[in-house]
Amino acid sequence: MSNANGFHPGERRPLIELRRLFRYFGETRAVEDMSFKVYAGEVFGYIGPNGAGKTTSMRILATLDEPTAGDAFVDGFSVIDDPDRVRRRLGFMPDYFGTYQNVNVREYLDFFARAYGMRGSERRRAVGSVMEFTMLNKLAEKPIDGLSKGMKQRLCLGRTMIHDPAVLILDEPAAGLDPRARIELREMIAQLAQQGKAVLISSHILTELAEICDKVGIIETGQLLAVGTVDEISAKSQAKSQVRLRTLDDSRPLRAWLSQQNDITNLTAEAELMTFNHDGGQKEQALLLRKIVEAGFEVVEFASKTKSLEDVFLHVTEGRIQ
Amino acid sequence: MTSLPSSNAANSSPSESRVSSLVTVLSQIGAWLEALGDRANPILVKETRQALKSRQFTGTFFIVLVACWIASFAVVAISGPSVYYGAEGSTMLIVYSAILAFPLMLIVPYSAYRSLAAEQEDNTYDLLSITTLTTGQIIAGKLGSAVVQMLVYLSAVSPCIAFTYLLRGVDALTILMVLVYFFLASLGLSLLALMAGTAAKVRYTQVILSVLLVLGLAWFFFASIFLVGGFIQESYSFLRETWFWVGNLAFLTVYVTTFALIHAAASAQIAFSSENRSTPIRRIMFVQQACFVGWVAGALSAEDTLKDLGGAIFASAFFLGLYWYAMGALLTSEWPYLSRRVQRSLPQSKMGRMFLTWFNPGPGTGYVFCVANLSMIAITGLILIGFFSSVMTTNPSVDQLLYFLLIGWSYTVIFLGVGRLLISLARRFVYVSMTAGFLLHVILLLVACGLPQILAFMSSPNGSVQYGLLHMTNPIWTLYLLVNNGSTAIEAATLSFILIPAALIVLLLNMRSVSAEMQYQRSLLPTRVAEEEAELHPEPEAKASNPWEEEEKASEQ
Ligand SMILES: Nc1ncnc2c1ncn2[C@@H]1O[C@H](COP(=O)(O)OP(=O)(O)OP(=O)(O)O)[C@@H](O)[C@H]1O
Ligand SMILES: [Mg+2]
Repeated sequence: MSNANGFHPGERRPLIELRRLFRYFGETRAVEDMSFKVYAGEVFGYIGPNGAGKTTSMRILATLDEPTAGDAFVDGFSVIDDPDRVRRRLGFMPDYFGTYQNVNVREYLDFFARAYGMRGSERRRAVGSVMEFTMLNKLAEKPIDGLSKGMKQRLCLGRTMIHDPAVLILDEPAAGLDPRARIELREMIAQLAQQGKAVLISSHILTELAEICDKVGIIETGQLLAVGTVDEISAKSQAKSQVRLRTLDDSRPLRAWLSQQNDITNLTAEAELMTFNHDGGQKEQALLLRKIVEAGFEVVEFASKTKSLEDVFLHVTEGRIQ
Repeated sequence: MTSLPSSNAANSSPSESRVSSLVTVLSQIGAWLEALGDRANPILVKETRQALKSRQFTGTFFIVLVACWIASFAVVAISGPSVYYGAEGSTMLIVYSAILAFPLMLIVPYSAYRSLAAEQEDNTYDLLSITTLTTGQIIAGKLGSAVVQMLVYLSAVSPCIAFTYLLRGVDALTILMVLVYFFLASLGLSLLALMAGTAAKVRYTQVILSVLLVLGLAWFFFASIFLVGGFIQESYSFLRETWFWVGNLAFLTVYVTTFALIHAAASAQIAFSSENRSTPIRRIMFVQQACFVGWVAGALSAEDTLKDLGGAIFASAFFLGLYWYAMGALLTSEWPYLSRRVQRSLPQSKMGRMFLTWFNPGPGTGYVFCVANLSMIAITGLILIGFFSSVMTTNPSVDQLLYFLLIGWSYTVIFLGVGRLLISLARRFVYVSMTAGFLLHVILLLVACGLPQILAFMSSPNGSVQYGLLHMTNPIWTLYLLVNNGSTAIEAATLSFILIPAALIVLLLNMRSVSAEMQYQRSLLPTRVAEEEAELHPEPEAKASNPWEEEEKASEQ
């Protein structure tokens, strides 16, 4: 029997779920029919070009905006009907920093801890551990107006997790961070996922996402084009690997030979160097190499590169702008 | 817990050493507030901390302090030795009141407005609104920090006020009353300013609102000086009169209920849209009306005769008619669909559905709510006239009163009803916000008053316009003539023959959508919510909040 929320008893409940979510701004279709689920302990990466609808859908999840149609659920609670319950278990880090005048780092965190209803020693402990986690201890008494961009970003992340929410929504948390801070952020997020939190994170820096995300969703013009692990998406998008081939001397005979093969496309050549796309996995590539060698060509280099998240992204999206 | 930085003196120049000693004193207040516990409103705690560090706040504090000292020296210098035997106390109190009015009437309310507007500008409002603070707590926190500021300003002036007492010519009770009036006025203005702050979501309205607010506050600033000045001069006789205290009590009732109403409205402005934002407001309206009627009844019963009954009925009908028209114009602009969240807590029993449905959000229920309240008042008035017409004085006359109740009732029912129909018609094509709906009501009234005027003006040869049946759509002129020139001036009998059936027809026309709104049934709690409720409150057996729910429980079993 499935209940009002559509879950079967015993089935694991996703911490984040978008169910046929739409959000229009007049003619602009910022979010169009998006559905996906994120479970506890998962990091879900959100990739999409500018204006794809990442921030819009995240704001809806954070109960700051309302969908035109559809619904989103956090730990089974609807963001439309029970925003109060959603807020208790959700931390949202927007892509801007909200600043107060005449407030220092500790007071800032203390304020939000109070605002989430934490009291006494519980609150002091929360503020202390968040400052430790984000390494802001030394800046505790510093006015937040005077913080650098990266420090603000940390404080923002700290504020997001002050009430130990089960769900974290991070909108471009790595923007403006130096390489070291990025690595640290990555570690922090991995740690949070290990604690059993569900993390939804958007970023433009794809290499970063590929490493920490269990799943990614690629969106463009409000639509979810592909969801899954990076490998799954690569496979689904008929990923061809790119092969680089170098011969000992003149490559023209080999070029002619290769153009006869039917699983090879996009063949380009430059003196001894050739590159082409090859359909098929590693096994097929090994076979191809043997055939080339058996046909008597002298190969000095054979390198195949599987597609990166970046290539997948470029392949899946089309650069549409609305 | 954080200790407030009391070591500011270490890195400040000597000229700031006085400031820093003040800061130490103030930080004591902060520490005391801290100790007051975790229970304090988070916004209050944060803003008190901010205020203690803000230059604007300490600056104003010093200006007030210095102004008081200068004023004191000036008076002592001018009156010379006579200060010992002359009764300069009341003059001094007026001067200090004028000084105190500046921070209390201008600075405190305007800072309250700014602090809410700044949350929007500095992007902190989003962060604040997704915490578990309720919107009521947000407004209360902002008000609380306004109160803290008020208290600090009051304490700056308190030594000077004690000085006026020593100068003689003014008694302690007068001083206390002046302070109470200032406090209440400043608190009320701060709440209004916050209400303006919640309405200012777009840059353009923000600019207009802040200009209007500053003008309004400036007007209040001067008005308060004159009023308090007048009060201080007359207080000697006032304070011995019973009516003065009764009047104050009545005023306090109005103040408290209106305060609650605006607080609820301001909270509703920033609440999320599926929340029930109407029912709490309607409850307060209901209570406010009950208080009003209670005071009128009390005032009447305090007198020996019932000769003022007619005047009381007239005044009540006039005020409550206006009240329900204004409130009705807002309530009938509400959105006609109930969110799933609201549907969870709809009344279920037969009695509950009959009496409590009208407290549910929605323009139709809002219309019926206003009409029902107004009808109750009108019927009570008619019954009282029926019983006591012989003992009432002749001004206003009995037939004037009767027609005033009937025609006034009809006008309110017609205008609210037609306005509501227009709004729902407009909503088929465009989005009509609550403000737009309210404006539609105002425009309807203006057109109804203005159109016959124009027609009559164009058709009359010499340009003078006489009242006639053509003007019956003009409630203002009609009722004005009825009260001033009597029932014959407007052919009241004919008019009620037309208006009362018209009102009933409008009422009927509205019933279709009212019944649509009544179709909503209580919906079950989503399983997930029920699950959590059971977890959080292991005993789901809630006490019945009204007798009807008990019946409902019994019928469930
Ligand atoms: N408040 C709004 N009013 C009108 N249009 C909006 C509003 N917010 C977003 N949009 C539009 O919705 C679309 C999606 O915007 P969104 O901010 O979600 O994109 P994004 O994926 O976060 O982009 P970016 O990578 O640049 O942050 C855009 O076309 C944007 O113009
Ligand atoms: Mg964005």
